Amino acid sequence: MDEARHALEPATGDDPWRLALRRLRANRVAIGFGALFAVLLALSLAAPLWAHVAGTTPSRNHLADTIVIDGQRRDVVTEDRVPIGPTWRAKYFLGADGNGRDVAVRLLYGARNSLFIGITATLISVLLAVMLGLLAGYLRGWVDAVVSRALDVVWAFPVLLLGIALGVALARDGLRLGPLSISGGSKWIPTLIIGVVGAVYLARPLRGLVLSLREQDFVEAARAQGAGPLRIMLGELLPNLASTILVFVPLLVANAILLEGALSFLGAGVRPPDPSWGTMIGDGVALLTSAPHLMIVPGVMLVATVLALNVLGDGVRAALDPRAKVRVGR
Amino acid sequence: MHWTLRGPACALVASIAVGLAACGEREQNNSGEIRAAVTSFPDSLDPALAYTGEALQALWVVYTPLLSYAHAEGVAGTQIVPGLARALPKISADGKTYRLRLRKGLKYSDGRAVKASDFEHSVKRILNLESADTSYFERIVGAGAYLQSGRVRGDISGIETDDRTGAITISLEEPYGSFSNVLAMTFGAVVPGDTPFENQTKRPPPGVGAYKLANVRVNRGFELVKAAGFDVGDMPRARLDTISIEVVKNRGRQTQSVIRNELDYMTDPPAPDQLRSVRDRFAGKRYREFVTNSTYFFFLNHRLQPFSKKAVRQAVNYALDERALVRVFGGLLEPSCNFLPPRLAGYEKIEPCTYGDPDAPPDLGRARQLVKQAGAEGEEVTVYGTEEPEAKGAAEYFADVLSQIGLKGSPRIIPAANYYATIGNRKTRAQAGFANYFQDFARATTFFSIVDGAAIADTNSTNFGNIDDPQIDAALARADRNPRAAAVAKDYAAVDRRLLEEAHLVPYGHRELSVFFSDRIDFDECTAWHPVYNLDYTSLCLK
Repeated sequence: MDEARHALEPATGDDPWRLALRRLRANRVAIGFGALFAVLLALSLAAPLWAHVAGTTPSRNHLADTIVIDGQRRDVVTEDRVPIGPTWRAKYFLGADGNGRDVAVRLLYGARNSLFIGITATLISVLLAVMLGLLAGYLRGWVDAVVSRALDVVWAFPVLLLGIALGVALARDGLRLGPLSISGGSKWIPTLIIGVVGAVYLARPLRGLVLSLREQDFVEAARAQGAGPLRIMLGELLPNLASTILVFVPLLVANAILLEGALSFLGAGVRPPDPSWGTMIGDGVALLTSAPHLMIVPGVMLVATVLALNVLGDGVRAALDPRAKVRVGR
Repeated sequence: MHWTLRGPACALVASIAVGLAACGEREQNNSGEIRAAVTSFPDSLDPALAYTGEALQALWVVYTPLLSYAHAEGVAGTQIVPGLARALPKISADGKTYRLRLRKGLKYSDGRAVKASDFEHSVKRILNLESADTSYFERIVGAGAYLQSGRVRGDISGIETDDRTGAITISLEEPYGSFSNVLAMTFGAVVPGDTPFENQTKRPPPGVGAYKLANVRVNRGFELVKAAGFDVGDMPRARLDTISIEVVKNRGRQTQSVIRNELDYMTDPPAPDQLRSVRDRFAGKRYREFVTNSTYFFFLNHRLQPFSKKAVRQAVNYALDERALVRVFGGLLEPSCNFLPPRLAGYEKIEPCTYGDPDAPPDLGRARQLVKQAGAEGEEVTVYGTEEPEAKGAAEYFADVLSQIGLKGSPRIIPAANYYATIGNRKTRAQAGFANYFQDFARATTFFSIVDGAAIADTNSTNFGNIDDPQIDAALARADRNPRAAAVAKDYAAVDRRLLEEAHLVPYGHRELSVFFSDRIDFDECTAWHPVYNLDYTSLCLK
């Protein structure tokens, strides 16, 4: 209904960005979920503060510790490795995990890792996709053929399998590419993997868009004025891709967080002892029935974040281009 | 279910009305079929190659070696007894020659007669197939030359056999006191002389044992079927007709199936989240835990900083909290500061523990002080572990302990499949990590082989910490020459103490395993736990 109303809005001569912002503001659901994402982001930034209140760190083990609750002394982890559940107090607010680590503290630090990877990987995806889309779409010919086939190959490969294969292969010895050297346990390994894989989703539509834009009069005019390919790509075409990129960004971030969660769950993403929602869910599997909070808590956070980003992304799309259809993920 | 009736009156009643079991004493059921589950298929069902617990537990009752272990629980089960041999070997004064003689009338499960020369063929298979324990048999005179010749049908000069008398004479390059234990391993089991020189897991060769292997479906399951006519000395015969062993990867499913009596036995402990419930409901009735002859420890690489310094190694020992590690193992760990497990000659409980009471909090203050004094503060240490929950939990805990005492510990978790090859490779430069060892045979030698300087190698090293202590090496060399383990128990105990005094590694306990049975199994009378081969399948019977 919102979309229909926006489509019927009379042309007012406003700046299109301002118009989009006004449309987005009117979309209360999207704004609500955007606010939820902002809260999650703020919580993740406050992780050290909460760790200070709880008196621990995300990787500190408290296997043999005890805690007094309602006057009763209880083991943080029982001898048969059942961790304490939520206490709703500063210490072990959301319970402990199998190694006696504070779940709330790990959850917030996990949010930092998941969001860092999600956002950074998306930036890498955008950078790569813009580069490939512009080159393939504008230069065409053999450049387009090579880029398109490369994208087809990555597109055809199951994303999760590709991620696992790369993650496992790089985890042991790290990545060394000329001057670039990343150790096997670094967060940059899953970030790069997800960034490269995610680029495909954006590069293909951008290439299509550039193919149509390069035939437009304004590009022809720039060419007639003696502008070179680089100047045309960056000065004339890139600004026209901005709205498409903006529509994709929240969806790419959501997809990247999901993929990071899946890779970490399978042991090919964030490395211990660093927490991420995926590793936390993975660690909780063995104690599913005796300590369900270990899976539920990070699972809820993951769902909430991805949902918030997807709804926000949908709102951004509706605001920028109500007729566009966008899909990320397979 | 099968019932046995006693006495003529009962026989009469039974003949009149089958199933009228009202009179007579109820006895153990000596037949029937049960279903058991393993989490993973054995590494091999070929006696020359099988090495994992699942495999050896089954093969022990299928392939009786020349010598064997008594079918008994506790220390009695570590006693070597004659298997296919008539008696224990006669060992020459210099400890290099072992003389044995086969029992008369031995037959394989397919009816063929067992020949003394089959033993030499079995050893050739072990050498050619590069089995995990090939090194034990390379001590035989001529084994090296045989391998170098490349002729599989060639001769091993150190093995002389006489098919007519059943005599077998084995000559060793050097005296090796544990050789009787080697002959008692299933590796040393005798198989027919025409058994091919390749992995026979799909079609295991016949053996001489209470059971025979049947219906092998690789990665899915196999059956142990009662071997008719098995009669070897005091070796127990099979009670059950068939033990059907299936691979069920999910331990949670196995546990549920045993609880519901759909499975009769599971070889691994129940899934961690079901352990408490199983203990509460079935302990002493259908469920029991046992301490295995195993040792769990963290290795510390002596050739790399900071563990090249004794003070840092001692600090780590002071900082470790065994109570925490017991929890990592879900309570299935007996904490200990001995490296050597109990029930072996040479075990002397180290009391009080050198670095503090395992049941009390650790001395972190002293540990920090030692690290500071050694000038190792802030040094980075990568702690290796596998993806398996206990190994991962232990590695993460250990890395945290290192961080608490002034080092910078970080875990590196790698797949279990290539874990030992990775940490045993010098190029990996593994500073510290999780390690465990389950006995090859019931003698201290097998445990100390992984702290012997001779075990250090560039690849596939089993001495992960590169421990090269001349005092330990000399004591082991001396003890290992003596065939009587009890006579050199003091030497073994001294090595055990020295490992701790020098803080060569960080031992923390011995693994406990469990047995969990269905209601059908006679739990009180028919579930013997063997110290070498775990559950004794010949002991199983139905109620």
